[in-house]
Amino acid sequence: MQRIQASRPNYLVVFGILAGFTLIETLISYVQQEAIRLPVLLGLSAVKAVLVLLYFMHLKMDSKVFSYLFIAGLVLAIPLILVMTIVMPIIARY
Amino acid sequence: MNEAVQPAPIAQEANTKLAMWVFLGGEVVFFTALILLLVLTRFVNTGYQEQFRGYLSIPIIAANTFVLVTSSYFVVRSLEAIREGDARSMRINMFAVLALGLLFLGGQAFEWTSLFRDGVDYSTTFGMPFFTVTGTHGLHVFIGCIWLVYLLLGHGKIPFTKENHLGVENFGLYWHFVDIVWIVLFTVIYLI
Repeated sequence: MQRIQASRPNYLVVFGILAGFTLIETLISYVQQEAIRLPVLLGLSAVKAVLVLLYFMHLKMDSKVFSYLFIAGLVLAIPLILVMTIVMPIIARY
Repeated sequence: MNEAVQPAPIAQEANTKLAMWVFLGGEVVFFTALILLLVLTRFVNTGYQEQFRGYLSIPIIAANTFVLVTSSYFVVRSLEAIREGDARSMRINMFAVLALGLLFLGGQAFEWTSLFRDGVDYSTTFGMPFFTVTGTHGLHVFIGCIWLVYLLLGHGKIPFTKENHLGVENFGLYWHFVDIVWIVLFTVIYLI
């Protein structure tokens, strides 16, 4: 029982980070320099998504099979991204 | 002989949770296509800032994002409560999730109404992908709210316990995923 308790993350801390990052993102969106704004916003967004996956969805503690299934979805999306990136500009010309 | 055909609870639990993750894997592909529609529409057309983003209220949507992130926290609290056998605390946290989910939908309805009033609708270049993506996401939140009502009311005949709380866990996975999609959408649509 103690082992299970110890392995549980502090959800309040995770929530605090998510809320704090949301505030930071909102403030950064008003920064005019694209070179700073774009990577920082994408980075913060990615960190928030990973935090939810690892701690709220328990992928950090759960079976690796669930992680592989989620990653499989991302891998399957890659050809979709490639095809749409090529096709969409062509369609837009007509 | 009878024992041999009895369902094994742990295996069944693993199967339903596995099915939920398979579903979420499919949802990743689905939402990637929708987000791509939005991103590529911006790439092949000029004037996103003037024709569209200028009409969006970032502080209101940031507050709405905070609402959804907070709801995710209450979902995980409800799961933790039932894992410790506290059904009452689970229900209180679920009510909080439902209230926050409905608040999020209310915020989205307010945003859409404001956009319609400003003349931004589905027929505009940037309105089409925006309403498609945010509408699909909103539909997911709405389905989540119905699911939650079912868990709170319809599931009363088979109450969740410390040992049997898979319904809460699977709902949580779905809700957190919807939260992740919004985290991405918030950045792609509103902030960049």
